[in-house]
Amino acid sequence: MIGYHYFDVQLKFRDFDNVELTPIYFRGCVLNSLEKFFGEIGGKTSLDIVKFSVEQRRVVFRVPEEFYKRIHTVITLIGHYQEVPCHFQVLKTSRTPLDFKKHLIGEDYCEED
Amino acid sequence: MVRIKNRYIAVQIVPYAPVNTLRLNDHTLSKCLLQNVEKYYGVYGLGILEHGFRVKYCNERTKIAIIRCLHRGHRYVSSILPLITLIGDVRAKFRTLYVGATIIQCNKFIINHQRQFLDRMMGQVASAKERQDLFKRVMELDMDR
Repeated sequence: MIGYHYFDVQLKFRDFDNVELTPIYFRGCVLNSLEKFFGEIGGKTSLDIVKFSVEQRRVVFRVPEEFYKRIHTVITLIGHYQEVPCHFQVLKTSRTPLDFKKHLIGEDYCEED
Repeated sequence: MVRIKNRYIAVQIVPYAPVNTLRLNDHTLSKCLLQNVEKYYGVYGLGILEHGFRVKYCNERTKIAIIRCLHRGHRYVSSILPLITLIGDVRAKFRTLYVGATIIQCNKFIINHQRQFLDRMMGQVASAKERQDLFKRVMELDMDR
């Protein structure tokens, strides 16, 4: 059985009005930067979006366990989303499924290995 | 004192169409390799490899080159060598001959490798005339395999 790692990410944009925030575009953005930083061999993985909220600008997604570090790096390094300056803040990571309700925004906590 | 470990990779360039000389130099070769590392391992791989990377020797007549890189990054190069099909503007592939820790060991291996090739080819040739021809071709470095 493949082990997954869950990420709870807060999306922060400079100009939210010019951004079309959808799960597909977000996934594309993360996978594109993953390929840019780690290349064709190192940057191919599956990324499943578990929860997505446009109002709260928050996403919960999961990736296979071996990609945990790479995804964390890439999420931190992303600086543009649809050419709008942005930054993604990892609120929480966990081996167990995450939910918006359980963890409030601003709870700055990352589970370490 | 910290010792910097290097790895020297001896490669043979096998062109798709037989040619006498490859129009290749150190610069073209290193550019091609770094481009491919960036393609397959991204900016991260390129960053690890770039420091200490150098094409130390490139002979366009014998089609043999020696690449130097740091020990921690040598797998990034050796793993992409079989995936490369275009070097500069020449259609060719790489054959990894040897990976060593010193350039002297690489040099020894290349000399042995060429000697074995010559012995093998000489053994296959039947007539004295052909043998002379082969010897002449080898001396002129006009041997395509």
